[in-house]
Amino acid sequence: MTDIPTTGAAGPAPLPAASSAASAAASSATSSAATASRDCPVCGTANQADSTFCEACGADLVVAARASNGAQPPVDVSDGTVLASATPQTAPAGEESPLDVGWTGAVPSAAVVPVADDLTCHACGEGHIVDGYCDHCGTPPPNPRDHLVESPTAWVGGVCDIGRRHARNEDAMSLSAGEPAGSRAVLVVCDGVSMATDSHIASLAAATAARAVLDQPFPKGVGTPDAWAAGAGRALTSAVTRANEAVAASVVEDVPNPPSCTFAAAVVEDDVIVAGNVGDSRVYWLPDDTAEPARQLGRDDSFAQEQMAAGVPRLAAETGPHAHSITRWLGKDAPDDLTPHLTTLTATPGWLMVCSDGLWNYCSEAEALRTLLTDAAARLDDATPTTVAQALVDFANEQGGRDNITVALARLAGRGSSTTTTEATAAAAPVEGDPTDG
Amino acid sequence: MADFTAEVFQNEFLPDGGTDVHAIVRVTSTGASAGASAGASAGLADPGSAAEVILIDTSGSMGRRGVQAAGEAAKAALAEIVDGTLFSIVSGNGTAQIVYPYSHQGALVPMSAHTRGEANRAIEGLRANGGTAMGTWLTLARQIFETVPHVTKRHAILLTDGVNEGETPQSLQAAVRSCVGAFQCDCRGVGDQWRVDEVRGIASALLGTVDLIPAPEEMAAEFEAMMRASMSRGVANSELRVWVPQGAELLFVKQVSPTLEDLTSRRTVVNPLTGAYPTGAWSDESRDYHVAVRLPARTLGQEQLAARVQFSLGGDPVAQALVKAKWSNDDSLTTRIDPAVAAYTGQAELATVIQEGLAAKAAGQDDVATSKLGRAVQLADQTGNEEMTSRLRKVVEIDDADTGTVRLKKGASKIDEMSLDTASTKTSRVRR
Repeated sequence: MTDIPTTGAAGPAPLPAASSAASAAASSATSSAATASRDCPVCGTANQADSTFCEACGADLVVAARASNGAQPPVDVSDGTVLASATPQTAPAGEESPLDVGWTGAVPSAAVVPVADDLTCHACGEGHIVDGYCDHCGTPPPNPRDHLVESPTAWVGGVCDIGRRHARNEDAMSLSAGEPAGSRAVLVVCDGVSMATDSHIASLAAATAARAVLDQPFPKGVGTPDAWAAGAGRALTSAVTRANEAVAASVVEDVPNPPSCTFAAAVVEDDVIVAGNVGDSRVYWLPDDTAEPARQLGRDDSFAQEQMAAGVPRLAAETGPHAHSITRWLGKDAPDDLTPHLTTLTATPGWLMVCSDGLWNYCSEAEALRTLLTDAAARLDDATPTTVAQALVDFANEQGGRDNITVALARLAGRGSSTTTTEATAAAAPVEGDPTDG
Repeated sequence: MADFTAEVFQNEFLPDGGTDVHAIVRVTSTGASAGASAGASAGLADPGSAAEVILIDTSGSMGRRGVQAAGEAAKAALAEIVDGTLFSIVSGNGTAQIVYPYSHQGALVPMSAHTRGEANRAIEGLRANGGTAMGTWLTLARQIFETVPHVTKRHAILLTDGVNEGETPQSLQAAVRSCVGAFQCDCRGVGDQWRVDEVRGIASALLGTVDLIPAPEEMAAEFEAMMRASMSRGVANSELRVWVPQGAELLFVKQVSPTLEDLTSRRTVVNPLTGAYPTGAWSDESRDYHVAVRLPARTLGQEQLAARVQFSLGGDPVAQALVKAKWSNDDSLTTRIDPAVAAYTGQAELATVIQEGLAAKAAGQDDVATSKLGRAVQLADQTGNEEMTSRLRKVVEIDDADTGTVRLKKGASKIDEMSLDTASTKTSRVRR
């Protein structure tokens, strides 16, 4: 849960967070008059006729439309394979959906495509999804947005989950990575502000737009670490600008509470990390070597952070009445200065994490988080970034799951190979640029 | 071509453990008026596309003046029938006879200046005589319509002035049942000697209206209006289809506007989860339906489709509304009753207590009548239904509308009671 205070930190209490259910009209009117809209077969939301993906849940409407043109999805009778999903296609240049922007060849998201091309009801297994509901038991299909898993490579993965208390997942995550491990990865997490309208659309648009910027390799400049850091910082700032434009563009008309979201991103390029954030989504660096401190890269733009700066202990500040009020955010009503809190760091063996407050609400201290992650990884037979992220999401849900939870991880071996740990550790006392706040 | 739209008004939020979902579905037609079709604009109905039968009470009780007025009313109706429409005039007493067309012409003839003139002359020959057996009239009407099986739009007007004493209630009911689906029938009672519940039973089963004509002189205007309304209906063969999920129970389906009509028992099975309810012919108009579904409760946060309500023409769905259910622990969402659902629920209760109150009064149970009509006064007052309050005022003395304290009015006229009864099922449209 993330709120925007109505005034400065010392002002009156923020408005109560509007639950998504409250903003939904208690009475709804559905007209069957022919309209130029494309209804999402997964969640039922009416989208514009030329939409290629659902603005509410992200389902691929092109595949769904193809599947529903006939009465049944095209099915290969020999083995029941749905053919429609076998040939994902990008839109022509200039007509890409936000999901297509920054297309890098493979579909890194395992979650965007699937449900839409299988219209059999998941709940009863007997009916089919028509107008967003099963024609046998009436159950809507699970919203793919409620639980997203991405594993672009073996060393990068993430889980974005609705949690247990919210009616809608307003977190969004966008990841990409290349081989070999440590060469290049982009991890973006955006958390929709729950008291604003349609922030789930805003956060997805922001994360997708930011990743499109960050997928471009950074300029090498003169080849010095400082030159790289400067270029990387400019790229992150540019990503924030693009994400902010995408959020603003996600609403057509003026609404009283325009959609808004936070921003946290980390880019790995040849084992050097650059991180930046606006709002209270976080980037953590959690090195394996306990001699090296685990730490949050950057800092929150939040009332709690301001209190901590004024000397209030972390626990008190983060559980106080205004703890989730953020002081900067992306959106139409965003503050003028959106320069992200930037940090650069040369990786040693360890975990790079980008997460929303749905996780850190239950484990804020970097050292505690490192312990939590290490213990969770140790319990797994197959500890990959994705399975560890899932374990941390499970942890947050077990603690109550009061908010949407997103955990994105990159497993880094650090400069040099893992066989030269000693040397690497010695050499790699983090070469760290000072946080370069704007 | 007619366009139909369907809208749903409901509060989809249910509390923890909540099971019952109520929704008002509004079906609106545009371009359904017969006047909008090319044939009618040229002044000619497609020959054989519609058939009209006028059933006139010629029992002895009508008397010379009554039959003469009924004849004038029939002529006024004939004047409204579009040329080309098949028609027939039936006189009814203890039995039923076709007055026009003449026997050698068959049971129905197309309307023209010539046949209208012949029919008007035939009506002059009507005389009052004999008893009342409406079942025989309806049966003859059905047999007349059966001679033209290709005609989809079939409508009759039934006029009576008395109690159906010429046959048993069972035989009337059997005759009505045999006519269900064969034609639609609007019924009118003239004077105060007929029984509202008896005639309402016929009109309701045959998808028509029922009303009171206080004096014979007012018949002509009423017949003209009824026939004009029938002529304007360009869409027949329509039905409401209601799907509910496996495991759900459809509690009721009611038409709630323009008149109250419980459709629940008229269900025909489309498939195990879907039932169809006939809705008769449509003009350019809007009708509201109240659908109530009982679902097995789901856990908080879950959502499901509670009902899919479709309007279909000739078996093809042309409009659809989705009724949803979402379980929530937010009281501000779940305790709210949709205004349309509340208003029509109130109007349905109002109609019920008026009818029960009048029936109790007729049966001499004055205390029951007082309590029921008192509740009616209270409901009418609460909903600002001034028309019903003024009708009730003619039957009861209102001491306190707020608490529903009333006294039965001494010497209330039979006509006033009957007009309250017939008006009870007319609802005022809930505006959005």
